[in-house]
Amino acid sequence: MITLFDVAKFYQKNGQYFSALKDINLQINRGDFVAITGPSGSGKSTLLSILGCLDRPSSGQYIFDDQSIEHASEAVLSVIRNQQIGFVFQSFNLIPAYTALRNVELPMLYAGVPAASRTQRAKLALEAVGLAARVDHLPSEMSGGQQQRVAIARAIVNNPSVIIADEPTGSLDDETTYEIMDLFTLLHNSGRTIIFVTHNMQLLRYANRVIHLSKGKITEQRIND
Amino acid sequence: MINLGEKLWQAFAAIKENRTRTLMSIVGIAVGIAAVMTIGIISQSGKQLIYAELETYGLNSLWVYRKWEDDSPFAKQRQGSGITTEDYLAMKKDCCSEVLRFSPVVYTQDWFKIIRVGNYYTKSAVEGVGVDFLEINNDVLLKGRNFRESDIRKRKNVAIIGQKVKVELFGENANVIGKTIRFDNIQLTIVGEINEKKRDFLNAIGATQGYDENNRVLIPYTFYQQLLGSRDIHTLRAEAKNKKNVNKALDQITSFLSRRHNNQYVYQTESMESWIQTTNQILQTISILGTAGALVALIVGGIGVFNIMSSAVLERTREIGIRKAIGASPQDIMFQFLMESVYISVIGGVVGIIAGIAILFIMIWWSGFMLSPAWFVVLIGLFVSIMVGIAAGYFPAKKAANMTPAEALRFD
Repeated sequence: MITLFDVAKFYQKNGQYFSALKDINLQINRGDFVAITGPSGSGKSTLLSILGCLDRPSSGQYIFDDQSIEHASEAVLSVIRNQQIGFVFQSFNLIPAYTALRNVELPMLYAGVPAASRTQRAKLALEAVGLAARVDHLPSEMSGGQQQRVAIARAIVNNPSVIIADEPTGSLDDETTYEIMDLFTLLHNSGRTIIFVTHNMQLLRYANRVIHLSKGKITEQRIND
Repeated sequence: MINLGEKLWQAFAAIKENRTRTLMSIVGIAVGIAAVMTIGIISQSGKQLIYAELETYGLNSLWVYRKWEDDSPFAKQRQGSGITTEDYLAMKKDCCSEVLRFSPVVYTQDWFKIIRVGNYYTKSAVEGVGVDFLEINNDVLLKGRNFRESDIRKRKNVAIIGQKVKVELFGENANVIGKTIRFDNIQLTIVGEINEKKRDFLNAIGATQGYDENNRVLIPYTFYQQLLGSRDIHTLRAEAKNKKNVNKALDQITSFLSRRHNNQYVYQTESMESWIQTTNQILQTISILGTAGALVALIVGGIGVFNIMSSAVLERTREIGIRKAIGASPQDIMFQFLMESVYISVIGGVVGIIAGIAILFIMIWWSGFMLSPAWFVVLIGLFVSIMVGIAAGYFPAKKAANMTPAEALRFD
């Protein structure tokens, strides 16, 4: 499903190149539940950005679903992000002026789904994350856990094959953290590929694969039972 | 791609969120449009007013009179006005293919005479004219009749008076036909009254030098010549057949006169056409200067919108990142920002038009003239404001659309 060959990413800052990722070779299969972990600055988020087509590798090859990504146009990438990938962020990244329902409808807007079925599907998605009663609330009127549920509803509403989550529980308390992780497990059980970044060692047990990064390199890969 | 109605809704929602900024750019554009409109009103209305009033002189009117600044050493020896009754009669018979009709005008150096009716009196310009004068001068009779050839031939003491003379001596609603007025102990019987002529605008800009067309007493030129004891005609008025050949008509008249007087006199000529051309030049200058000023205002407004759009893009970088992450294409982002700036510009344009109309009413109230807006200028203004909006929105929008989502999401 996802294959990385010799992927590297470097940034230019004040005339100096500094490397965020190097020699990344990785294969992620359909239905995997992958945790990426490592210390701060190890390149976890950069790797996640590349996997999620939010950024391009500086060198190497990235194949997503038999399609080579590194030279694809921004328009092609936007369709992949819209149709194949659902994103969940640490800081939720909801649009503050939009209600929960409108936030969830947004990916379908860009997909060109007609208004009536858009609303219906958004309501179903909110129901699936347990927020049927909150459709008309603004993000500022909801708790962190509720906001993250809205973000998850938004991530799944176009029925993507991959969910990519960057520290999805980083801003939540313990109880909510486990509720959200249970939700990811549910999504995984329904056949989706889940890739998430975390600091929290307690959460690694949810994944069936753990990838450890250090200084931009994969230092350890293991399979959970 | 998302549908149009949804795009419009999104742009509108974004504008609601950024009130102050939006208000500032609306003001910028509105000032520009109002300035464009004001210039349009001034040049358009000025043109209409001046044309309407110039028309009261007769658009094909010609004036020929002796040039008194004649600096030849023999000038002083030459008496008279250089045009006589004989010249006029000869001219009428066989001169000037480009001239439709002629009329002599006889007057004295002090145009204004005291005109009396009983114990009332007023000061009016007395002019001796021919039968064709009213036609040439575009005068319309309100009541009574024009002079007849027999009035001229018999030097009859009849008069046609302007509205101001009538009001001063008889009052507004009086029937003056057949009544008698006196000037220098001479009795004149009124046979006609001329409709009022409006030259308020030309008066206001000082172009009439205080001469009031409504304060005239016209009498047969032969009668006035008899009173003055002279055969001189002081100004020859004529009407050209065709506006295009005005100068040819004037050449024909002056060369005919010069030939009859063996080049003794130099003649000065004027035509309405030359006045109209001068007016056009002045109005064109006003338009060009005004347009330049309005353009500056629009550019300043456009720079304002540009700044505002740029800072909007900067402030909303994160939102752009979110939208791109969930599938917005570069075109979607571009269109959203373009729509926002077009919205701002159109609202600014409409506010500007309303302000322009307010300015119009203030100008009407202040000047007392019926001014009209040039609606095509309004349309141009609206078009320009939309173009300014698109131009000002384009570059920030392009910048926003071309960011990678990762870059935009990192932004704080």
